[in-house]
Amino acid sequence: MTNNLKIQRAIKDISQEDLAKIIGVSRQTINALEKGKYVPSTVLSLKIAKYFDIKLEDIFGLEETD
Amino acid sequence: MKTHFLFPHWTKRIGWILFLIGLLVAIIYNINNDFLSGHLKIKVFAISETQLFDFHNYFKFIENDILDELILVGLIVGGILVGFSKLKNEDEYISKIRYESLVWATYFNYALILFFTLFLYGFSFLGVVFYNLFTLLLFFIIRFHYMIYKLNKSNQDDE
Repeated sequence: MTNNLKIQRAIKDISQEDLAKIIGVSRQTINALEKGKYVPSTVLSLKIAKYFDIKLEDIFGLEETD
Repeated sequence: MKTHFLFPHWTKRIGWILFLIGLLVAIIYNINNDFLSGHLKIKVFAISETQLFDFHNYFKFIENDILDELILVGLIVGGILVGFSKLKNEDEYISKIRYESLVWATYFNYALILFFTLFLYGFSFLGVVFYNLFTLLLFFIIRFHYMIYKLNKSNQDDE
């Protein structure tokens, strides 16, 4: 799964640390998400989309291997 | 995040103390049995006690040196607390690492058992049986904390 979390963060000008606090996860998790190392749960994805106030599909996308 | 079957974070420290003392005493006990034996003889209740080519006791109070029992209780209770108490920043990614470490440790532990089953015979195999009372926990703890260490390190590198 791909995501553009880093870009969304840049647009909102919010750090990994602050986003992590708001969403309720560790900063390592946000970092792992941005690196594509971790696919988040539905709940976490929805929380992230809700924070940025955009649709899920605008942050997350499927890859060919998915 | 809701977590099932995990102990609160503060129990981890108690776990480390119990586990490390257990491990240390177990190592000393293995190197020099005489030095530690016989100091903790008390009466205990035995559901069953059998000695090789000797007597059998069932449902009786018997005299026993409880040092080895204490070591094992420390290793198991401590190991469980270290491995299964929440981290300070427990979340779903940590849970995934925990789960994968447990799978890894189980494969590794049973791979060792298979190896020793094929190549150790007679009394040599008894050591395997004894160590396996806590090696699954040990391998899991090492693997889990190594993965968490790697995760934190890769995070620092990004800063």
